[in-house]
Parts: sequence; C-alpha cells; structure tokens
Amino acid sequence: MRVTIKLFATLREGRFKVENWELPARASVKHVFERLGIKQEEIAIILVNGRDTQVEYELQEGDAISLFPPVGGG
Amino acid sequence: MKFSQEQMERYSRHIILNEVGVKGQIKLLESKVLIIGTGGLGAPAAMYLAAAGVGTIGLVDADTVELSNLQRQIIHSTKDVGKPKVISGKETINDMNPDVKVMTYHEWVSSANITDIIKDQDYDFIIDGTDNFPAKFLINDACVLLHKPFSHAGIIRFSGQTMTYVPGQGPCYRCVFLNPPAPDLVPSCKEAGVLGVMGGIMGTIQASEAIKYLLGIGDLLTGRLLVFEALDMEFRTVKLASRTNCVVCGENPTLKDLIDYEQRACEL
Repeated sequence: MRVTIKLFATLREGRFKVENWELPARASVKHVFERLGIKQEEIAIILVNGRDTQVEYELQEGDAISLFPPVGGG
Repeated sequence: MKFSQEQMERYSRHIILNEVGVKGQIKLLESKVLIIGTGGLGAPAAMYLAAAGVGTIGLVDADTVELSNLQRQIIHSTKDVGKPKVISGKETINDMNPDVKVMTYHEWVSSANITDIIKDQDYDFIIDGTDNFPAKFLINDACVLLHKPFSHAGIIRFSGQTMTYVPGQGPCYRCVFLNPPAPDLVPSCKEAGVLGVMGGIMGTIQASEAIKYLLGIGDLLTGRLLVFEALDMEFRTVKLASRTNCVVCGENPTLKDLIDYEQRACEL
C-alpha cells in the first residue's frame, strides 16, 4: 500500500519533509518509526489524515502520517 | 483609573480598536504578566507586552547576557553583556514605557520557588519563554495546580510550536507531551541552532495570546497546537484533546508535588 510520510521540526534533520512510501499490508505506525530510525519517545504527536493516532494503528492505503516532535528551545 | 493626555496618545492605536477601547486599555494597565525566561521567546514577548501597557511585568531568569544571545534576544544590547538578563530587560522596558512596573526574579524556576514567584504578584497570565523541557513541565504543572493560564512555546532551528492553557478550557501541556523526553534524545538550541527571528515570531504570538486573554477577546490556542515551519513559511494547527487520565489536570490527578526533572549539564 502507498502512504505519505510528513515530518516536522527536528525530525526532518538528515531525513526529509515529505515522502511517499510503499509499505506491506497491515503495517502500523510503529513500522514507520522503525524504518525512520526514530524512537517512539522522540514523537509527541502522531496524526494520520489529520487525526490524533496511536503507534499501534494499522495503516490503510492512501494514509497521510504526520509526525511532530516536542520542541523545547527558547 | 484616569488616563493622562500622554497615555491617551501613547495607546491611541489600541483605544481606537473596538475590541480594546479605553476600558480594555485600563484592563491592560491593571494586568500582571509573568514571563519566565528572558531569552529568544521572552525578550520579544516582554517588549510587546510592555509597549502594550501591561501594567506589571515579572521577569524570571538567572542568566547574564552573553554576546551569543544578541542574535535573537532583542531586549538586550551589546552594552548589556555581562549584566543579569532581568536587569537588562527591566532597563529596556523602563526606557520604553514608564507605565510598566517591572518585577525581577534573578533565579531559575524550580519546584522550590515557582509557586512563590507566581503568587508574588498574583500574576494573571504566565508566558513560558524557557529553553528546556524540565522548566516547561514545571511551569505547566505549577500553572495547573495554581489555576493560572499560560502560553507555552518552543523553538529550534527553523521550527516553532505554541499552545495556550486556560484552566478548564482544554488540555494542558502534559496532556499532549506526557513527560520530558530523555535528556539526550532531543537537541537544544545551543546544539542545533535557531534562526533568530523564530523567538520573535513565536514570542509575539505568545504576547498576543496574553493580551487576548487579558481582554477576553478572540479565540485562544486552547486545544490547538500551532506549528510553524519557517523554511516552508507554513503554519499548521493541530487539534489537541484533554486526557481524562492526565496526572496533573485529569479527573483523578496524582501529581500534587512539583517535579524537578534532570537537566543536561550543557544547558546550565
């Protein structure tokens, strides 16, 4: 299935802003984290199609996943 | 309270706004805002609130002005290097607007002093202008426990985020971010850098939220996280929900004592 991955703030460092990925059926958000090399604790907010989502969520064809880290500078 | 001729003129562009007027301007002059951290976020927030005529402004910071601060912390000048930031900030505000009483707290916030600092002038609104997660969680927890509204913001590199907490009107910072990330997991501005204007953009949004709250106008960033990416020049709003099981603002809160989380040595 095809999904879109959108990264924000420091998550873009050495990665990308937006990419379209081909993922195996039944892949979860956790699968995306693993492929990105991101620890779950680095993510504050997971949105799938604009909705707040948990890491166990099983992705569907066409889903857009947006990942936001906490930003703590000042 | 009666306006002098000078005040009528100074605040004329506010007074002419239906949403402010004489009544609103008096409200601002009678209001008290505490700004924790007089750095990238706190400096512009403090300056706009002072210019707006917020009558009492509290500045909290234990730091002294360094040359590397001046790229973004516009309340301080080259002549202020070496001076405590709260003193430098107070001098800038005094020069800008004599209507403003400035309270200074030359210390870092901790579980031991934050409650006393907020209660010192019974501040109406708090601005989190700090540069680290332990302080951001501490400010959230203290404000929730004291039923005080506050504006959170964070900046790094070309990115920023901000949300507003008002007691009983939506999630707190902890509902969204749960716990501080492990100290080595997320970079600080010192390590990753920050575009100078990021503090200006996000800090002035925080000042706008404070003014709107004090005047009771418009819609605040409660239940919404505003995310800004300067390289894309894009703002995005993420809806946020309260957690009924939040340890500080939930239905059965278990967090009663403030926590001093571990801080990385390089940030001290």
